[in-house]
Amino acid sequence: MPIDVSVVRKIAALARLRIEPSEEERYARELDGILGFVEQLQALDVSGIEPTSQVTAGERPALRPDEVCASDVRDEALAGAPERDGDYFKVPQVV
Amino acid sequence: MSAPLVLESAEALAAAVAKGERSAADVTRAFLAQADRTAPILGTYLHRLAESALRDAEAIDRRRAKGETLGALAGVPVALKDNICVRGVPTTCGSKILEGYRPPYDAHVVERLRAADAVIVGKTNCDEFAMGSSTENSAYQVTKNPWNLECVPGGSSGGSAATVAACEVPLSLGSDTGGSVRQPAAFCGVYGLKPTYGAVSRYGLVAFASSLDQIGPFARSARDTALIHSALCGRDARDMTSRADARPIALDGLEKDLTGFRLGVPRAILDEAGAGLAPSIRAAFEAAISAFERAGATIVDVALPHARYAIATYYLVAPAEASSNLARYDGVRYGARRSEGDLRGMYEATRGAGFGREVKRRILLGTYALSAGYYDAYYLRAQKVRTLIRKDFLDALEVSDTLLLPITPTPAFKIAEKTDDPLAMYLSDIFSIPASLAGVPALSFPASFDASGLPIGLQLVGRPFDEATMLRVARAYEREHDAASRAPAIATAGGGGAR
Amino acid sequence: MNRPAMSATDEMRAKYEPVIGLEVHAQLKTKTKIFCPCATTFGASPNTQVCPVCLGLPGVLPVLNERAVEFAVMTGLAVGATIHPRSIFARKNYFYPDLPKGYQISQYDRPLCEGGGVDIYSDGEKKRIGLVRIHLEEDAGKSLHPEGKEGVSTTRVDLNRAGVPLIEIVSEPDIRSGAEAYAYLTKLKQIVVYLDVCDGNMEEGSLRCDANVSVRPRGQEKFGTKTEIKNLNSFRYVEKAIAYEIDRQIALIESGGRVVQETLLWDSARNVAETMRSKEEAHDYRYFPEPDLLPVDLEDHWVEGLRETLPELPDALRERLVREQGIPEYDAEVLTETRSLAAYYEEVATRSGQPKLASNWIMTEVNAVRNKTGDTIDSFPIRADRLGDLVGMVASGRVSGKIAKQLFELMLASPDGPEALVQKHGLLPIEDDAALRALALEVLAANPGPTAEFRAGKEKTFAFLVGQAMKQSRGRAHPEKLQAALRAVLGEAAS
Ligand SMILES: [Mg+2]
Ligand SMILES: [Zn+2]
Repeated sequence: MPIDVSVVRKIAALARLRIEPSEEERYARELDGILGFVEQLQALDVSGIEPTSQVTAGERPALRPDEVCASDVRDEALAGAPERDGDYFKVPQVV
Repeated sequence: MSAPLVLESAEALAAAVAKGERSAADVTRAFLAQADRTAPILGTYLHRLAESALRDAEAIDRRRAKGETLGALAGVPVALKDNICVRGVPTTCGSKILEGYRPPYDAHVVERLRAADAVIVGKTNCDEFAMGSSTENSAYQVTKNPWNLECVPGGSSGGSAATVAACEVPLSLGSDTGGSVRQPAAFCGVYGLKPTYGAVSRYGLVAFASSLDQIGPFARSARDTALIHSALCGRDARDMTSRADARPIALDGLEKDLTGFRLGVPRAILDEAGAGLAPSIRAAFEAAISAFERAGATIVDVALPHARYAIATYYLVAPAEASSNLARYDGVRYGARRSEGDLRGMYEATRGAGFGREVKRRILLGTYALSAGYYDAYYLRAQKVRTLIRKDFLDALEVSDTLLLPITPTPAFKIAEKTDDPLAMYLSDIFSIPASLAGVPALSFPASFDASGLPIGLQLVGRPFDEATMLRVARAYEREHDAASRAPAIATAGGGGAR
Repeated sequence: MNRPAMSATDEMRAKYEPVIGLEVHAQLKTKTKIFCPCATTFGASPNTQVCPVCLGLPGVLPVLNERAVEFAVMTGLAVGATIHPRSIFARKNYFYPDLPKGYQISQYDRPLCEGGGVDIYSDGEKKRIGLVRIHLEEDAGKSLHPEGKEGVSTTRVDLNRAGVPLIEIVSEPDIRSGAEAYAYLTKLKQIVVYLDVCDGNMEEGSLRCDANVSVRPRGQEKFGTKTEIKNLNSFRYVEKAIAYEIDRQIALIESGGRVVQETLLWDSARNVAETMRSKEEAHDYRYFPEPDLLPVDLEDHWVEGLRETLPELPDALRERLVREQGIPEYDAEVLTETRSLAAYYEEVATRSGQPKLASNWIMTEVNAVRNKTGDTIDSFPIRADRLGDLVGMVASGRVSGKIAKQLFELMLASPDGPEALVQKHGLLPIEDDAALRALALEVLAANPGPTAEFRAGKEKTFAFLVGQAMKQSRGRAHPEKLQAALRAVLGEAAS
């Protein structure tokens, strides 16, 4: 399905990305080109093939034991926040 | 005459510092001075750490004076790509959205480097969030190729490749997702290793595409590459995908010759690049094959039938993972916030202003590929093709010990030459991406130079966790050729000179 | 949007069958979060239980907590679910300030457990509520909206809870009423508390519930359009909200309207459900396998080993009490409310050798006090050994029921055993003939009128005189012997 400006707007909204109206046309063109290129995968028969979502060889590591290890990053983290309200991170109202 | 210090190998420098023949402080000063001279011209660094580097070096010297035995990288200056976290040091990933961000923790590789007594001298320039092949996508500056200031150093780890090529450091770290270590290494005439997926912990590496990202070193010799890889590899409890199977490499093993060694050559893949493949690259490739034959290797023809689908697969898988990995840059907890009305306005303004074009393009692409109704046709199908591509490599590495491939279709291209055509830029990853998708180790080594004096690199691909064999093959080539030992004029203009 | 609560009439209700499915989130009682070693203590001051991982800082990675998997599997085993040898974590992508990474790590098409179910009682009838799945996921942080004086419009974010392990338990649409939903939740809570994998505390949010509600004409196969109700933070709210929504949907359809698929928010103050999100604005979560985690692979012997360690569950315990102690189903149901209450009962029953009497005492006297004081059985001042002795004394007639109640009161305040208290407070029964005769004479002397009436043949006054004598003895007089003494004295000629 060809990518047009309306699709760009839809996915930009999903991704919380502001795209300037002047740019929408160009993104649509570029995405359409790339998706056109990846169409070649449709030619391949992948029936019965397991998907690979990660490549992990070798022995499996153990899971983490349930033991508390306190971190000392809190103050640095809060100090680096764009906006804070006491010990909270502060953001505009969710409406 | 004895070569200037900055041209020496990390191995030699570390040995000298460990023996006390040289002080870590002197070594660090020499490299800092080199960088003072060349870094402003090349634009290699986003953030330099001269003061702390000297302090660390002096601390190392004091520990030696106390009789402590020093680590394998004693006093060796190392530069880090700006997507590797160092506590309290700016880490921007070349993006505006992380302007002013200072991580409150160290990456695993940073802990390992310190444990080996290396000295961290700065954060290098890169494409924004490691997305690019020229380092032109950095929100901050352009980095130049030390061999020709009009050319790109490659990317996305262009700063880390250039700083090693210019002898500003003997060693540096980059990250390789689809070729971001190997391709700039080739453009800059140095070694670049993408370890087996899982060989080096990703803890503290800012994620681009989690199932592909690996931290990899740049160096100016096969032995130095092995030296730093050995210091970094192995299991880390903070990365479930890291593996204990990754073992340090014995340097002596690299000196074994190639008798009885089987070099796999997937010639057909060269045609994939078609007209895009520079004659100089093809020539270097063929020359290398005969060189390895002379060195005693048996040449085995192998096929990677699905490698042709690698780019299409990669540009679905990587953006999909990236669209999710980059969701955390929302202006809530760190980075640069742009406020506009309500929460949603803040999100969109912050991300709209904070990300560059390439990053936005990939977020959109990945969001689309994962969105309802397209997942099966795009992301899931790509993952199945990925299975076929990995199998190709494992099969080829059954009948051979290591594969030889080109790494780039051309030598370094001119700055601004490709910025307008994303797809063309993507297509130049044809030789690097397959090994990334397969998760196997790959090494870019300096092979020769083209007529214009630009470096040409070639690529070796090995079995999972068998970085040692690739480095042994590269070392055999290094013994017979001088491509690796040449330094660009800018590196020696300070009074150096070819070794 | 605000909606007036439309109410349905009984004959309207009779025409429709409600179909309800519940999604319950239970917080697991692990020491640390699911993907990082931060503590999970409730009520810690804001952003103190955080680390680079749960803050979602650039470059961090999740590492799975072994105990969280264990607890989830135990729950699956307890409800007879299939435990999958391989399950996979997936990313659920959406933006919210208390979701640090911009995605929640959950499970999607390969959950840890599938199937199973729990039995409830729906007006006396045993009924099975099937389960679709149980999967593991991480909790989000807390967004606080300080009481918005107009103009002030900010949200504060506390990430202490971000990354706390949850299991999401999804039921089949087998529930037919708010009351059944209540019974189902009670049973689920009982199970996870028995397993000790969740503290079951709804106020602290360790149990949360969303309800999917639809109605269909009786006899129709096809489900009606469903709505989802969120923010149900007590079992009673769940019951109320479901009843409300069933009526709303029925009334809506009856008045010619159409139910639209939407998410509603329950307002417990006003007892109404209000639209939160309509289908058009529904999320596109873009699920995909989490590449930073490995598949969860469970060895068969490991799962079987866990099965061995499971405690006796409510149903089994109830049946055992009925079988071994011979008490009624109802008693057993009440006494197995918690594991410790059941254990308390068993000790009292064994020590006194009086299973039914023990059950009566606990269900009436003990629970009456606990309902007043709010004591749990573990904090109840009379331990099982002392109550066992008391019940034994009642059974052997050592003390009358009346005295026993006095002793029970005394035991609440004193650590002494019942026998010691009997001595201390002179509560021994009066059985000796001389003492009873004296008592009888005393009472007759004090009541000349009734005494005369009785002698004049008014048999009825005898009961009055017995009562007076009992009162006089503070209940200690041996009833039969007292009556005998009175008759004896009354029988003697008046002098
Ligand atoms: Mg959930
Ligand atoms: Zn944490």
